[in-house]
Amino acid sequence: MTTPLLALEDLNVWFELPGGGELHAVRGVSFELEAGERFGLVGESGCGKTTAMLSIMGLLPPNATIAGEVRLDGENILARGEETVSPHRWNDIAMVFQGAMNAFNPVQTVGSQIEEPMHLHDVAEGKLARRQAEELLERVGIPKDRANRFPHEFSGGMRQRAAIAMALACEPKILLADEPTTALDVMVQAQILELLVSLAADFNLALILVTHDLPVVAQVCDRAAVMYAGEVAESASIDALFHRPKHPYTRLLFAATPDLRAGGERVASIPGAPPRLDKPIVGCPFQPRCDSAFAPCATETPLLKKVGEQHVAACHLNDHVREPATA
Amino acid sequence: MSASIQGGAAAATEGVDVAAARRPGSIRHVALREPTAIAGLAIITFFVLVAILSPILVTGDPKEKVGPIFGPPSASYPLGLDGGGANMVELLIAGTRVSLLVGFCAALVSAFIGGTVGVLAGFYGGKTDVVLMRTTDYFLVIPDIPLMIVAAALFGRSLTNIIIIIGVIYWTTTARLIRAQVLSVRERVYVKRARALGAGNGRLIFKHILPQVAPLLVANTVLLVAYAIFAETFISFLGLGDPSVISWGRLIENAFNDDAILNNAWWAIIPPGLCVTLVVLGATLFGQSLEDALNPRLRVGHLSVRRFKVRPLRGKLDSE
Amino acid sequence: MRGFDYVGKRVLFAALTVFVAITLNFVLFRTLSGDAVSALRCRQCTQAFKEYQREQLGLDKSKWEQYQLYLEDLAHGNLGKSLRSEQPVGHELWPPLKNTVAMVALGTFFSIVFGVLVGVVCAWRRGTWADKGGLWSGLAFYSMPPQWLGLLMVLFVAGWFGLPTAGIKDPTLGILGDASWWEVFVDRLRHMILPALTLGLVLYGEYALVVRSAMLETLGEDYVLTARAKGLSNWRTVRTHGLRNALLPIVTLVALSLGFIIGGSITIEYVFSYPGIGLEVVEAIDQRDYPILQGAFLLLTLAVIGANLLADLLYFKLDPRVSG
Repeated sequence: MTTPLLALEDLNVWFELPGGGELHAVRGVSFELEAGERFGLVGESGCGKTTAMLSIMGLLPPNATIAGEVRLDGENILARGEETVSPHRWNDIAMVFQGAMNAFNPVQTVGSQIEEPMHLHDVAEGKLARRQAEELLERVGIPKDRANRFPHEFSGGMRQRAAIAMALACEPKILLADEPTTALDVMVQAQILELLVSLAADFNLALILVTHDLPVVAQVCDRAAVMYAGEVAESASIDALFHRPKHPYTRLLFAATPDLRAGGERVASIPGAPPRLDKPIVGCPFQPRCDSAFAPCATETPLLKKVGEQHVAACHLNDHVREPATA
Repeated sequence: MSASIQGGAAAATEGVDVAAARRPGSIRHVALREPTAIAGLAIITFFVLVAILSPILVTGDPKEKVGPIFGPPSASYPLGLDGGGANMVELLIAGTRVSLLVGFCAALVSAFIGGTVGVLAGFYGGKTDVVLMRTTDYFLVIPDIPLMIVAAALFGRSLTNIIIIIGVIYWTTTARLIRAQVLSVRERVYVKRARALGAGNGRLIFKHILPQVAPLLVANTVLLVAYAIFAETFISFLGLGDPSVISWGRLIENAFNDDAILNNAWWAIIPPGLCVTLVVLGATLFGQSLEDALNPRLRVGHLSVRRFKVRPLRGKLDSE
Repeated sequence: MRGFDYVGKRVLFAALTVFVAITLNFVLFRTLSGDAVSALRCRQCTQAFKEYQREQLGLDKSKWEQYQLYLEDLAHGNLGKSLRSEQPVGHELWPPLKNTVAMVALGTFFSIVFGVLVGVVCAWRRGTWADKGGLWSGLAFYSMPPQWLGLLMVLFVAGWFGLPTAGIKDPTLGILGDASWWEVFVDRLRHMILPALTLGLVLYGEYALVVRSAMLETLGEDYVLTARAKGLSNWRTVRTHGLRNALLPIVTLVALSLGFIIGGSITIEYVFSYPGIGLEVVEAIDQRDYPILQGAFLLLTLAVIGANLLADLLYFKLDPRVSG
């Protein structure tokens, strides 16, 4: 079995709260990513997907505690915290942030900020860096003479593209994109997504796309994991998630998305709210809102089980399946 | 003085409970839980008590000579004697009353003027707003302390005049603050609804807008007290204060004029200034935490010397 | 030219404010002061002299005529004559003005240096004792009356360092042969240090707090997270991304503090008998020398207006986002 490019194993993140106590934001998340693969991480706001992303790059605040492993090409980059993770930043793993409009320092030119990581990681210097930055900008659809402009002179969509160009500055292997299209209008969204797909192909980039927007995942990704309350509820190919969901949350989530092409369906939404993460959760976290809950759900935590080819889900409804997943 | 120093008081009282700050109606709850805010309140309360009790604590004339000039601290006179041989402790207590009185009254005057200007400008908008705000802008440019000094010199040295002068000079920041608040309140749904139902302007102002603005005004007034006491020391120090009353500012002036330094009489110099510093500090801390409680702002810092912590893998996580 | 109308607007506003200040100056001193001359206290102020002065000052004319005269005089740079010394006001005020500017510049320099250092350290070590200590000390100094702090300086610091505590010159300098340029310079500096230090201590708290807040705000921005994600160390992030953005507010703050600086320096000059414009103001008040007072006040107001305008323009230049 080949080593996956990126593997998260049992990732847990706690945040210390100001009034005392802890918020258990990520509760044992595991998944794998192969080179060149496009993977989606889906869930409601607050489910821990962004935190999990930030953990991969070790970008957590001082009040955070991490347990678990993040293995890049087999090596656990979280072994000694900041020390082991920082050498991989931007070189191997780069990120485009949520609201990347603000990813740029307003008092520096966009070009200089794209060149900055090149200098830092000794990828290029001086004129070479300048040229590479301009090429990156052109590749994402921005005319290269814009390199000397300031961020506020770019439109929202253009800034997002520039942020993507900046992320590619050191030719990383993995690109993390956190809600890259939120706050952009629909036309621009589609362009950005197409851009991400084509870049992934051209640069052989693995892509992890974090979003709460299902059509986005459907358009861009091959596989996805659905997160709920800090845990992975289900993980499978897009096709499987859409047509053969094995977790009620997945099913309800996809049903809640209005499909504009099929007319006249009622928009379903899931009543209730996710559980609080500063207290221990007993049983299945989704149980209070689940329409298929039964006896074991309130008291026993369901484990991630293999329910099909490359398909795992954590739900008691799958208990009859005889092959338990081995992490 | 400017708004930025208030930001510092805010910083010193940082650490507001996030959850509590988001709960409506728990403003007092939040402010009073902060140790520095409580300390501020305690200081103010202490001095207010001293001021109120001063007629009891000080019998007779505090300026009365009871010993040699600049007599050092002793058992019967813990803070020594001033340049006229009077008991420093009694002088300080008497001064507390005057200084706090001036402070509070002047602050009230400022708050009243500033609040009125702010409400009118914010509520009526349009020309009224422009005129009032331009006036405020001009007032802001004129250096406050020279103006105060000159006005004090020109208009006579009674206590009332001092109070009015200080009050008239410091209303500008209050006006801006209140105006901003009124502008935001004015757009709220229930105000529009009340207006649609036919409520007149007066009713709108008094029943709907003022209650929303009042807490901020109160918080700001506490800060104004700090400014006012500070301002009074300036005026007194330059000999422009009311000659018939004792205030902390006056005590500092006396010490200076009586050559306390030559006599190494630190006990005549340090206590009055210390009192001013403490009260100003206390009022600033308390007032700022009040203002903050009404406008909670939460910041996340991405940089810190400390890093996130890594726990060793604990096998299967228990009891979930 | 970029932002021409922004600059234009600011200049216009400043000009208008200047006009208002001039008028206010007039109103304050002439109209409301009652009969200035009759309050004159000086040895040669006989009744005849007072009459003469009234005529000179034009106090025998109507208020409106006085105002016109005043404006005319101003246009010619004539600020009137001192009642005490009969010298032109501008002439009298020039040396003290220089002294004050020097001392205030030095004090402001101290305060900016202290302020930036403390502010950056506080933001850097947010939440630790260094942070709280920095904040508290800044707040504490800021709450102290400047004259009181000055007195403390004299009491405790001056003796320690052998610094002079009054005036601006050592009277014995230059008596035994010409003093060199360097000796004079050092002498002035020694006389300026304590008042400037007092001013610096009283002010730095405010700057430290602003730098700290601006720093924290900047540090919370996404581009700082991005910088860290790119692999920049903490220190480099602070230096390249944090510091410049955080320092912008200091520019405006210094200018806006000028009002307080001027006020504070009046009492500081009084304590140290430092012959600056503040001391002039105090003496003029004492002796009811209204022309001097009026001139000094006008100068101070103009200085503040000028400083505000300068701050606006500087901010405009430093922050590319401001384009009017």
